[in-house]
Amino acid sequence: MTSTSTRKFHKDRGLVTRMYFTMFMLGFLYAVFALFLMQVAGLQLIFVGGIVGVMIVVQYFMSDKLILRSTGAKEVTAEQEPALHKMVKLLADRYEMPMPKIAVIDTAIPNAFATGRNPKNALVAVTTGIQQRLNERELQAVIGHELAHVANRDMRVLAIANFLVTVTSFLMTMLFWNMLFGGMGGRRNNNGGGMMMVYLVTIIVYFIGQLLVLALTRYREYGADHTGAEICGDPGALADALEKISGTVNNIPDKDLRKLQTANAFLIIPAALKGEGSMHLFSTHPPLEERVKRLRELEQRMRYGLR
Amino acid sequence: MGIFGGNKTPKNDWSAMSTVIKAEAKLQALGEITPSRRAGVIYRNDESNSFQRDIKIELNEVLYSGEGATKTAFEIEDDDRGMRWIVLEDGKFGDLVSTVYTVGNAIGMNDGADDLLAAVFELYFTGTVEDNTYRSGLRTYWIYRYDRKAFYPFVPTGENEGERDRPAEGRLGQDLRKHGLAVEKSLTEWMGLWGIPF
Repeated sequence: MTSTSTRKFHKDRGLVTRMYFTMFMLGFLYAVFALFLMQVAGLQLIFVGGIVGVMIVVQYFMSDKLILRSTGAKEVTAEQEPALHKMVKLLADRYEMPMPKIAVIDTAIPNAFATGRNPKNALVAVTTGIQQRLNERELQAVIGHELAHVANRDMRVLAIANFLVTVTSFLMTMLFWNMLFGGMGGRRNNNGGGMMMVYLVTIIVYFIGQLLVLALTRYREYGADHTGAEICGDPGALADALEKISGTVNNIPDKDLRKLQTANAFLIIPAALKGEGSMHLFSTHPPLEERVKRLRELEQRMRYGLR
Repeated sequence: MGIFGGNKTPKNDWSAMSTVIKAEAKLQALGEITPSRRAGVIYRNDESNSFQRDIKIELNEVLYSGEGATKTAFEIEDDDRGMRWIVLEDGKFGDLVSTVYTVGNAIGMNDGADDLLAAVFELYFTGTVEDNTYRSGLRTYWIYRYDRKAFYPFVPTGENEGERDRPAEGRLGQDLRKHGLAVEKSLTEWMGLWGIPF
């Protein structure tokens, strides 16, 4: 977070404020929960923390290899993908970061991602589907967005943020089995009601933690949109790319044609109820319309020299 | 019904619907599909409409004894969502399309223009289109909406509402537009028809 690149590119004050507030809330939740466990449950925190810690460290340091394996991404050389290599090199230079590894995933589904704990260990991957569908300007914008995640150290931020969620989900499973079979190794297991309370609090903390992490993820996403757009100097290109890849196909409805002329009156309320509210909260990526809107606004501001 | 029905006289239906003949021929020439022989017309059955009440007799008349009759075989099926399907089969795709048009036109001309929902054609992909994106043996439906006068692809992946292969549909729509098909531009109008009886 202290890298110069982060400070240089983030100009959206409100976004940065909300992001830090979320991170503060997450830290606060961490601390309160740890205190609660020590006071009420007397659980051996070091034990749980240790296991999860190891898991996260492994994931953190192995993430590029794990992701390569799980997605079927193949690392490519400059000879194999000269155009892609040139494009990434150009952008990496603008970010003043070392050349990341490049991988290609052979699938028609258009997508791209970046990973790596720091710019020295970064990897950027694109699918053949996105290469085919986007033009050069749009693909450059997408890679610019992914490299922004690397430059902003989003992997590290989210790994730390995820720690609490992982600990609580681990605890939830442990407590569940403990309550089922009882008396396995715990010191105060005769106190069934207390155990139940610990379980409930863990569930609540898990959900709040989850929501905070997802909110944080969304803010990092907006941040990467912003940074990437400034690096490429063309916010409209990413907006075009987003609309082209996910926007269009996702607009194909779930609805059956036979429902078109009947029950119109009844559809309004359920649509509003199930609509954006919950999806908004639980989706990792922010809603597409909102991202596109922000990018178009940024485009306008850049065009007229307003910063 | 009568007052507004007049506006929907399918004047442009033929010019829009017939684009599927050229597109199908092009895909055949490229070796991407097997010959298509089945199609259907779906409409909201109205028992108070005398033509629709006697649909079997009426269609026999239209398809078998009129001048230029294509003698296309047809079946009538009611689905569990309260709609009636006229399912048609013909070895010649051009004849199939013109019969579908004729059936829709006959229903429309007899005070049923508002009851017409869609015409559906089946295209069965066995080859690969451009970038290898279609697995061989992909059954696709092409829905022609009478109210929009345009086609869109429908690739169901299950029986339940919402189960469809959106990425494949997106690609199919782009590709078939290149082959001259009148494709519906607004994707939000691409509503599915789960449980097509053919």
